[in-house]
This record gives sequence, C-alpha cells and structure tokens, in this order.
Amino acid sequence: MAHIHCTDIVKSYGAHPVISGLNLDIPNHEFVVFLGPSGCGKSTMLRMIAGLEEVSGGRIEIGGTDVTDLPPGERGVAMVFQSYALYPHMSVADNITFGLRRQGVSKAEIAPRLKQVAEVLGLEQFLDRRPKNLSGGQQQRVAMARAMIKTPKVFLFDEPLSNLDAKLREKLRTEIRRMHLKLKTTTIFVTHDQLEAMTIADRIVLMRDGMIEQMGTPDEIFERPASRFVADFIGTPAMNFVTATLEAGLIARSGSIKLQLSEAEFPSLNPGQEVELGLRPARMDLCAPGSANALTGEVVLVENMGAEGQVITEVDGAEISFVTQGFRDLSIGDTVHFTIRPEHIHVFDPKTGRSLRKD
Amino acid sequence: MGKLISTTLTRALLGLLIIVALGPILWTVLGAFKELRDIVTPVPKLIFEPTLDNFATILRNPTIRDGLLHSVIVVSASVLVGAVLGIPAAHTLARHARRWGDDVQFFVLSLRFMPPVAIAIPFIVIYLDLGIYDTLFGLILVYLITTISTVIWLAVPAFERVPHDIEEAAAMEGCGPAEVFWRFSLPLAAPSLFGALVFTFVLVWNELLLALTLAAQNATLPVVAASITSLGKEVPWGVINAATVLLVLPPLVFIGLLMGLLNTMVRSGPK
Ligand SMILES: Nc1ncnc2c1ncn2[C@@H]1O[C@H](COP(=O)(O)OP(=O)(O)OP(=O)(O)O)[C@@H](O)[C@H]1O
Ligand SMILES: [Mg+2]
Repeated sequence: MAHIHCTDIVKSYGAHPVISGLNLDIPNHEFVVFLGPSGCGKSTMLRMIAGLEEVSGGRIEIGGTDVTDLPPGERGVAMVFQSYALYPHMSVADNITFGLRRQGVSKAEIAPRLKQVAEVLGLEQFLDRRPKNLSGGQQQRVAMARAMIKTPKVFLFDEPLSNLDAKLREKLRTEIRRMHLKLKTTTIFVTHDQLEAMTIADRIVLMRDGMIEQMGTPDEIFERPASRFVADFIGTPAMNFVTATLEAGLIARSGSIKLQLSEAEFPSLNPGQEVELGLRPARMDLCAPGSANALTGEVVLVENMGAEGQVITEVDGAEISFVTQGFRDLSIGDTVHFTIRPEHIHVFDPKTGRSLRKD
Repeated sequence: MGKLISTTLTRALLGLLIIVALGPILWTVLGAFKELRDIVTPVPKLIFEPTLDNFATILRNPTIRDGLLHSVIVVSASVLVGAVLGIPAAHTLARHARRWGDDVQFFVLSLRFMPPVAIAIPFIVIYLDLGIYDTLFGLILVYLITTISTVIWLAVPAFERVPHDIEEAAAMEGCGPAEVFWRFSLPLAAPSLFGALVFTFVLVWNELLLALTLAAQNATLPVVAASITSLGKEVPWGVINAATVLLVLPPLVFIGLLMGLLNTMVRSGPK
C-alpha cells in the first residue's frame, strides 16, 4: 500500500531555506494536488519525494518504507515532467518500455503491457515514431505511458499540462482524472493553476513560502479558506476584501456597507472588533434595493464572460466586484444593488490573516 | 524566363566556387597519379597516363612509411586517450561542478594559448633526462595536453545542451550515474562530441613543431613531408603530391569510422 508520509521536511539551498518543517500525509489511492504561487517550493517538494533532490532534514516514507536515502529508481515512483523529458534517440515504443527492458522483464511480458497502455492512451499508430515527430499533446501521452507501464506505487506530475493550449489541457486533465479513477494509484500533481487543481484533486495542498497554508478537499478550500491568502488565491474572479468593525448582533459595518454575519460560523466574534471580510464575487448577485445584506455601488466596468459577467462597482471609493447573469442590462455609471448571504461571508483576522471561523 | 536565368546564374556561381575551393585539392590528387614530365609541362595536362609510381616510391621509402605509421600510432593514441579522459571530465564539469566550471574551462583553454615553442625547449631537456626523447610515447604524452584540453573545452557545451530532465527521467527509471552517462548523455551529445574529436584529430595530425623538436628517428608524417623537398635536386612533385594525399586520407577515414560508430551507438538502447 502506498501512502506517503513526510515528516519535518526541511530543504535549503545554501543558507536559503525553501521548505521549512513540512509535514504531510497522503493516504493510499488519493489524488493530491500541490498548489501555490510560483517559487513556493512545490516542485522542490515533489522532487524530494521522487528522490531527485536530497532533503536537508526530515524523513520520507512511501508505502511504509523509509525511502529518504534511496535513489529515485528504487522508490517505486514514476514521474511525468513538465518538459516530458522523452528520450529523443529512441522510438516511442522504446521510450515507453525502456524501464521494463532495463529491469530485464522478458519481451513476451512487455509486448502485451505496451499494447495495453498504448491503447489506453491512443498511441498505437505512433509507436515507431521518434518523439520529435509528435505533437505536444502526443508527447505528453507518451510521457504518461512511460510512467504508467511500470505500474508504480506513486505517480508524480510536475505541471504536466502547462505547455499545452487551453483546449488540450482541459481534455488531458479529464483523461488524467479518469485514469486515476481506474488505476487508483496514489498521485501527486503539481500545478499553479487553481482551476486545474479544483477540478482534478481529491485533496489540495495549498503551499506558501515552503509551508502548507491549508490542506483539504477542493470544497473545503473554496468554501472554508483557512486564511486570507487561501481565499485570495482560490477562485476567479478574485475575492473582495473589506475592512470592517463589528457591532452588536454580529453586524459588520464599513462606511455604507452593513452586513449580517453568520452566528453559527463565527460564534467567537465580539462587538468593536476589527475584522477583514471576504466576499466572493461568484456568491453575490443583483437584488432589489433595501434587501437584506445589500451593497450599493456604481458600475465602473462590466466584463462579459459568456454565460455570466463580472461587474466591477465602486462602493465608498473602493472597488467591489460581483458576478451576475443579468450583466447585460447594466452600463457604466448605473447604480446597482447586490447582496450576499451571511453564510457566504468570510471573516479574517486583519493582523494574522487567519480565518475567524469556528473549527 | 527571368527565373531560369537567375537559377542558371546561381548554379554557375556555385560551380565556380566549388572549382575554386576544390581545384587545388583535385590538382594535387591528379598530380599524385602523374609522372614528373606530365606535371612540369608548360601546358597543364588533363589527359595523361595514370601511374602509381609515386605511391610506390613513397611506400617503398622507409622514412615515409615509418612516418605514416608513427603518425597513425601517435595521433590515434593521443586522441583516444584524450577522449576517454576528456569526455567524462567534461560531463562532470557540465553537470556536477558548475560552480567551478567556468574557471576550469578557462584554465583548459589557456593551455591552448601557449605557443608550442615555449614548451618545446624545456620538454627536450626533460625528455632527454627521462629517457623518452625521440620516442612515440613522449610524443603521445605531449599531444595529450592538446587533445585532453581541446576535448574538454569543446565537450562541456555539448553536455550542457543535453536537457537535465532527460537525465533525471533516466534516473527515475533506475539508471545509476554511469548508466545515465553511457546511455543518455553520451548518445545525445554525440553529434557535437563527434565534431570535437574530428577537430582534435586534425589539430594533432597536422602538428609539426613539437614533432620536429621532440623526435628525430621517430618522425611523424608532417615532419617527413616537410623534409621531402630536400630529398633530391629535382623537386619530386609527383611524390610530394602523393604524400599529401596520404596525409589527407587518414582524417577522412577516421571521420567515416567515427560516424559509423556514433550511428550505431545512438540507435542502441537496451535490447
Ligand atoms: N537549485 C536551486 N538552487 C537554489 N535555489 C533553488 C534551486 N531550485 C529551486 N530553488 C528555489 O527554491 C524555491 C522553490 O522553487 P520551486 O521550483 O520548488 O518552486 P515552484 O513552487 O515549483 O514554482 P513554479 O510554480 O514556478 O514552478 C524558489 O525560490 C527557487 O528560487
Ligand atoms: Mg515548479
């Protein structure tokens, strides 16, 4: 069984710490996505699990075996690189079967396995070609076939889709997800595309500056962000933030804005407290004037996104945006009223940035 | 119509350039098969009765025959050892010692700045003391300075162009460092390395000064060829031409062999 267990992982390049004391548990069969801004240490973490990078401290276990000091080839993991890293001097078939041939697996056993992965990934007619004669998407599939044929305990992907165009990305994303549902191999997938992470992951590990900011299902990350950083990072259009002061009865007030907060979610808030409110554009919509939790603003810009549109408004001199299907009737300069339900309002400590939601 | 004229003109120009470039070489080759009286005629002869006498003269002449043999031994040995030591060194520099790589690269290159004359005289003294003056071993030793440094200098960029990811992907499949080098880095860098080896080969094959100063009996072909002119009163043009052809031939054969070797190497993964 291939659960992954990382304890107190530290990594520094010279005096420059990249990962500082990271603990991570990944259960067997899970599809985990490392998500985070550029330079937060996602690739470094993945490469340490792969064995391509040494840890400066801490232990890594895969399937109950301590692999910290094992070379990459003995960890039972397979990796798909961002650049695909296909062997240019070998045919596609040789690329895929290299690992097995190297282990001395017999031809008779390799042939059916090659046939099977080639079939799954639609590579049958390309097996005799050289990698450079394939399109980006086909090369991507070869890289995946090469990882799959070894039936590893763990799949590692480092931004495997970032060199592809949007359409193909979406298609391969679905394919990878479907493949995982079938094979159930524990998988770690690195990306800095939050939409990719949300759609593909069982669990998201959101990283920031070499630390885990939050770990949870896509829903948890989206609906219950543990910090302002997470809330800001996840979701398009990005969340609006408003600094407000609490009044009795869990009312947050900031200028003309007056919002009722959820008693169930935030029982520990006190009147007079300064808080930072997080309002997701997608959770707000147009409403009649005078409705509960209504905000009133002047339309500054309307962005057409097809089925819906993002409306950017000015409320008390600050910009707040929301998403609505009724954007076509709005034009710049209009006064609009929009509302958000109490349970969709996030509240953060303005100093620490942590969420004030009860656990 | 205009297109036809321009094509014809381009072709003609190209042909002219080829004649200018290859003319002297062809003339030398032709001369190698001519008798002396056919060469020294005031009107150049294109139609003549070919003769192998010149080659026979050369190959029967022990000095020239030995010179050829010495050249082949000295140059192949020094290029071979240079490659065996220089190529892995270059890979290490390119991959594992990037920090010092530039300094080492410069040091290696600086070996080539030095005019051979500067080391020739001290080497005579040292070689006489060591008892390896006028030996093939001594020549090989001094040529190794040239071959190792040139191979390293040219091979480091060749290995730097091999994508790091590919070596890592190979490591993920269980290949150790030596296997990664042998099966991936080397074949992928091979085309550039091939150029480096040919360049090195030609460099030492044509070397005259050190060969002249460090060997007497065991002279190499360039030394012998240079001294042919003083063989007799009459300049033996045919013989000189034939010697030139012999001098040019080995590098060509060498290039052919290397190419074949590389082609097979690049194709083979594990069976
Ligand atoms: N070989 C190295 N030497 C020094 N610093 C390094 C090295 N490799 C990575 N770093 C540093 O480690 C930090 C994390 O890098 P890493 O590649 O893990 O980021 P990432 O999260 O994968 O970013 P991206 O999304 O851009 O790929 C960065 O600040 C980077 O500069
Ligand atoms: Mg990265």
